[in-house]
Amino acid sequence: MSWQTFILHIFTYGILLYSMILLLCYLLIGAFSIMETRSYLHKNSFTDYRVLASSAEAPSMSILAPAYNEGATIIENVRSLLSLHYNNLEVIIINDGSKDDSLEQLIKAYNLYKVDFFVNQQIKTKPVRGVYRSHNPVYRKLIVVDKENGGKADALNVGVNIARNDYFVCIDVDCVLEQDALLKLAKPFLETSNQRVIAAGGVVRIANGCEIEGGRLVKVNLPKQFLPRIQTLEYIRAFLLSRMAWTKLNGLLLISGAFGAFDREIVIACGGYNTNTVGEDMELVVRMRRYMEERDEPYKVAFIPDPLCWTEAPSSFKILGRQRNRWTRGTIETLRFHKKMFFNPRYGILGMLSYPYWFFFEFLAPIIEFFGTVGIIIYFFTYAVNWQAIMIMIGVVCIGILYSIFAIMMEVLTYNQYKKRKEILSLVMVAILEPFVFHPFVVWSAVVGNFDLWRKNNSWGEMERKGFVANKKA
Amino acid sequence: MADKLITYLININWQIQNIALASIVVLMVCLLHFMIFYLYYKGRIEKKRNKWRMISDMLISKAIFFEDQRDEIEDEILASVTTAAKKLTDNRHFRIFIAEELMSAKKNISGGSSDSLKDFYLQLGLEQYALRNLASRKWYVKAKAIQELTTMHVGEFVDQLHAYTNDKNDHVRMEAQAAMVQFNGFDGLDFLDTITYPISNWQQIKLLQLLSQQPPSNIDISKWFSSANSSVVIFALKLARNYHRFELHDAIAACLDNEDPQVRLEAIHCLNEIYTDETSDHFIARFLREDIKHQLAMTKVMQTVGTDRDKLFLLDLLTYDNDELKLHAARALANTGRDGLGSLEEYSKKSDQAIGKILMHIKGEKAA
Repeated sequence: MSWQTFILHIFTYGILLYSMILLLCYLLIGAFSIMETRSYLHKNSFTDYRVLASSAEAPSMSILAPAYNEGATIIENVRSLLSLHYNNLEVIIINDGSKDDSLEQLIKAYNLYKVDFFVNQQIKTKPVRGVYRSHNPVYRKLIVVDKENGGKADALNVGVNIARNDYFVCIDVDCVLEQDALLKLAKPFLETSNQRVIAAGGVVRIANGCEIEGGRLVKVNLPKQFLPRIQTLEYIRAFLLSRMAWTKLNGLLLISGAFGAFDREIVIACGGYNTNTVGEDMELVVRMRRYMEERDEPYKVAFIPDPLCWTEAPSSFKILGRQRNRWTRGTIETLRFHKKMFFNPRYGILGMLSYPYWFFFEFLAPIIEFFGTVGIIIYFFTYAVNWQAIMIMIGVVCIGILYSIFAIMMEVLTYNQYKKRKEILSLVMVAILEPFVFHPFVVWSAVVGNFDLWRKNNSWGEMERKGFVANKKA
Repeated sequence: MADKLITYLININWQIQNIALASIVVLMVCLLHFMIFYLYYKGRIEKKRNKWRMISDMLISKAIFFEDQRDEIEDEILASVTTAAKKLTDNRHFRIFIAEELMSAKKNISGGSSDSLKDFYLQLGLEQYALRNLASRKWYVKAKAIQELTTMHVGEFVDQLHAYTNDKNDHVRMEAQAAMVQFNGFDGLDFLDTITYPISNWQQIKLLQLLSQQPPSNIDISKWFSSANSSVVIFALKLARNYHRFELHDAIAACLDNEDPQVRLEAIHCLNEIYTDETSDHFIARFLREDIKHQLAMTKVMQTVGTDRDKLFLLDLLTYDNDELKLHAARALANTGRDGLGSLEEYSKKSDQAIGKILMHIKGEKAA
C-alpha cells in the first residue's frame, strides 16, 4: 500500500468515524427532544397562564432592550413591548449611543423627561448620560437610558444595573414577542423547589413573511424569500430538537440573545455580560453555569418549546455571512474562556458532555467539513476517485436531510405554525436543497470566522434590518 | 497491522455503506409518509370534532339558556342528543373532547346552569371513566381525571382525591391540592398538616388564586409556621400576608429565626404588610447575622416599618460599602419619622458624592 493510499484511508476512516459519532448524537438529540417535548406538552396542558397574569405573586421582571440606530422602528417596537401581558414589569430601553435620532423620537413619542437617577454600578460599564421617565402615567413601566456607545453587552450591563426586579429578560428591540411570552417564560422560575432556575429561553422563529400589525404578530406565513425560508427550517431544527434535547440533560449552553430570561442576582454575582466577546449571550450562560457548578448549588437552565419570539432573518448572503461569522467567533471565544471545563469531571454534564459537544460538533464541524470536502476534491483530481469517501459524503448529506425532515415532523406534531400543506411541502423541499445551497455557505462563513478571529478581527458585523413594515397587512 | 485493518474494512465497507444509505433513504420516505398520513389523520379528526361540537354545543346551550324553560319537545330532543352522546362515549377521543367542552363551559358559568352541566356529565357516565383513570400509571391521565372531577364538582369522591395530595408526581399532587381547596375552601388546606413534598411557587400562586374565590376564613395558620416542610411555612406566611392576619405578627417575626433562608426572606416580606412599632427592632436585632440578600430585604421593608427610633441605625447603614444597601437605607430614612428627608440632607452634606446622588435620586422619586 502506497503512502498516498494509506493517508487516503486514514482520512476516509477518520471522516467516517466522525460522521458515525455525529449520527449517534443526532439520534440521541432526536430521542431526548421527543421525551422533553412530550413531557412539556403534557405539563403545559395543566397550566392556566391567566392565574399568573392576574397574580400579585408573579415574579417581577425587567425587559432590557438595547437599541443602536433603531430610529426607523423604535417607537413601534417600544409600544409592542409596553403592551405585553404581565403584571410586575418594567421596560428598560438602553440607547447605546445611537448616532441617529432614536432618543429624540422616544422623548417626543413617550413624553419623557430626564430624572436624577442613582445608577448602582454593580457591573462596570461605559458612563450613563441620562435616565428618562414618562410624564404620562400610561407609560409608567417605561425607563429609557441614554449611554455612551459600548456595544450590546455593555448596554445590557447598564440595564442589569438599573433594573430593580428579580429577573430580567433581554430582547433585541426589533423582535416581536407573543403577548403571553413573559407569562410562559416566567413559569419555569416558579416550578422547581429543589433547584434554582438561573435562566430560561424560548423558541425564536423567523418573522419574514408573517403579517405584523402594531407590533403584534397577526398571521404566521412561511417566508417567501429563499434564504429566510431556509433559516426557518434551521431555527426549527435548532430550537425544537437540539435545545429541547439539551434541556432534558440539563446541559443547555445557549439562551438566544434575541430573547431570554435570567436571574439577576446570579448575573450580577457572575459579573454580568462579557464585553470582550461577540458571543455574549452564550458566554453568560456558560459563566453562570460554571459559577453554580463551582459552588455546588443545584441549578437548571430551562427552555420551553413554545414559539415566543419572532425575529427578522437576514435575506442576503452578505448579511447572513456576517451573522454566521460572528456566531462562530462568539462560540470559539466562549470555549476559549472556559477551556478549564473541557472534559473536567468537576463540572459534571457541563464539562463532560455539553462543552465537548460544542467543541467537536459546533466549533470543529465546519472546519472538518471544509477540509474534508477540499481533501476529497484534491484526491478526485490528483489520485483517484475515492468512491468510499464520496459515499460517506452522500450518506452524511442524506442523514442531514433526514434530520431536517424529522425536525419538520416534530413541528407538525407539536406547534404546527405553518398550517398549509403547501408550506410543509415547501419546508421539505428546502430540507432537500439545504445541504447543497445553504449549508456550504454557512460552513464557509464559519471558516472565515475562524480566520477572522485568528487575525483578531472582532467586529460585530452590522445586521441591516428591513423592519416589519413591509409585512404589514394592507 | 494498520494495513490489514484497512484492507479488512475496505472489504466489508461497500456492503455496509450500501445498506446504510438504503436505510437512510427508506427512513426518509417513511418519515415523509408518516407526516402526510398524520396531516390526513388530523384533518379527519378535525372533521369528526366538528360533528361532535354540534352535540356538545346543543347540550351546553340547553343547559345555559333553557334551564327553566324547556318544554316537552325540547326535553325529547335533549334526551335523544344525550343518548346519542352516551353511545359515543365508547370512543376515547369523544370522551376527551366532550369532557373538555363541558369543563370549559363549567369554568365560565355558575348557578343552575352549572348544575345542569354537571348533570349532563353524570348522565354520560364520564365520572366513571375519570375514576378509572385515577388508577392509571400515567401521571397526566391521573392528573387530568382529578382536574375533571374537580371542575365538574363531583364531590362524592373528595376523600379519594385527598389521598393524592402528597403524591410523588408534582402535577398529580397539584391537581389534588387544588381540588381540596375548590371543594372545601380554607378547610381544604388541611393537607398542609401532612404533606412532605414541597409546594412549588407556581402551585402556591394557584392555591392563593383559588382561595381568593372563597369567603375569607379565620383558620389557624400559625400551626403551619412550625412545619418541617419549608414550603408549607412560606405558603402560610403568604396566607397571613394576603389575609392581613395582624394577630400573627409575633409568630411571623419568630420565623426570622428559621433555618431556611427562603423562609426568613418570606417572613421579611410578610412583615412589610403585618407590622407593629416593634417590627424594625426584630430586624435590627438580626441584621448583622444575615447575608446581604436578607439585609437588603430588611432595609427595603424598613421604608414601611421604620420609626424615629431607627434613624441612627439607618444612618449607620449609609456608611456601609454597598451602594444598593445605601440606596435602600436612604430611601427608608427619607420615609421615616417626621423629618427623615431632612436627616438625609443633613447627612449628605458631610459625606461622599454617592450619597449626594442617592439624595437627588430619592428626591426625584418623591417628586414623581
